Amino acid sequence: MTRHLFHRTILGLVVLTTTTTVGCSTRWIDVTPSPANREHPATQSILNDERVPLVMDGFRMTQNGAPQNPSTEVEHRILNTMQETRLFSTLIPLGGNVASLGDKVVTARISFDETIDSHSGKTAWKGFVIGASMFLLSPVIDLDYDYAAEANLELGRWDGQIKRYTARSAGTVHYTVFAATPTMVGELKGRVTEACLTDLMDQLIRDTNFYTASSAPLPDSPIVSVAVKARKPLLSPTSPASAVPVSTTPTP
Amino acid sequence: MPFLARILTTLALMLLMTTTALHAAEISPKITVGTQEVGLSVGYMLPHRLTEDHTTKQQGPAFMPYWMMTLTDPIGNSWYRGQISLGAEMVYIQFQEPILTHGVGFAPKIKYTFVALDRIRSYAEFAGGPFWTDLAGKIPEESSEFNFVLMAGFGASYFLTDQVALNVGYRFQHVSNAGTSYPNIGLNASLPYGGFSFYF
Repeated sequence: MTRHLFHRTILGLVVLTTTTTVGCSTRWIDVTPSPANREHPATQSILNDERVPLVMDGFRMTQNGAPQNPSTEVEHRILNTMQETRLFSTLIPLGGNVASLGDKVVTARISFDETIDSHSGKTAWKGFVIGASMFLLSPVIDLDYDYAAEANLELGRWDGQIKRYTARSAGTVHYTVFAATPTMVGELKGRVTEACLTDLMDQLIRDTNFYTASSAPLPDSPIVSVAVKARKPLLSPTSPASAVPVSTTPTP
Repeated sequence: MPFLARILTTLALMLLMTTTALHAAEISPKITVGTQEVGLSVGYMLPHRLTEDHTTKQQGPAFMPYWMMTLTDPIGNSWYRGQISLGAEMVYIQFQEPILTHGVGFAPKIKYTFVALDRIRSYAEFAGGPFWTDLAGKIPEESSEFNFVLMAGFGASYFLTDQVALNVGYRFQHVSNAGTSYPNIGLNASLPYGGFSFYF
């Protein structure tokens, strides 16, 4: 009898421990492309004198296709990432003083598009089921939150040549109800953004020679005018004008 | 009722003192996925005798500490834009009428909070779970001490800061034993309440 009680007590403790450790603290983040799978990080060398300044000329952000106020936090993060490559001598943020930079300057236009899917409908149903089960199912029902980032970088050299780079990364945080915290979404966004910018910088570094001071002479006729225009509004996904033919066969 | 009056007066004074102490900054709470809410609601139960078989005029104060977790970002793009949260609450009722008895329950709870207005946020909620009371057996409506409580209602939260809100609301409450013993006519009541929440 005592032995039977002992076995039940042990079993109960195991179940309780498993439930609290697995059910209460399960949370993990998947990011694609995974930074761990980055096989060949780009590496180049550049003479110090060959480095030129980079000036931010434009920065746009969208969230689920809707334009947002540009986040200085994201802008600084992008600039910091570019600074860490040491490709450019100086980085001037949007609206910074460009008077003493010289003639050879690279201008940058960046757009940063975020896509968020919190799976609200599915989460609501799962929440209802978890509540109805008196939280007993909470360890086995995972909730998901998706975040994707796409960075487009357009760099213009002093002679008018332009190069474009695009990087995309996506991630999902999987969590149980008792493991959710307000910081987990921030952690997800941080990792996805990092993966996205790392990919972008890898592409940029491969073109190091394109941005050296000796890569191109100053134009004979310096650019004395710029085109002034309002930018095109972003088309709504539901707008008929935004429809484009989609085909699995390549366009001839 | 003097008890309820005292509670409501205390809540009103707390509101007055807190709001006068706050600076005039705009309050726009950012409730994100994973934000937790703990709080306490206090109300007074008033009976509803829905049929001729219902004779008991049960009433008394109710105390409901609770915990909630925000599960979704705001859903929708119109007046119904809101967030879903899941949680649980303890229910303690002191039945002062017809006999001084007690009831204790645990109820998982789901809440939909409308976020169209920044500082004032209305909500609808539903909760249900097991409920024990020693009032049963002493009244004709209920025979067993083990029962279930179901609650559905609505309310509004007024955010004093980004993290603290005062709540007022109304619930309809039903207590019965799901046919596990007879008689099982059930007890029905209105439960107006006030309280506060802390978000973190």
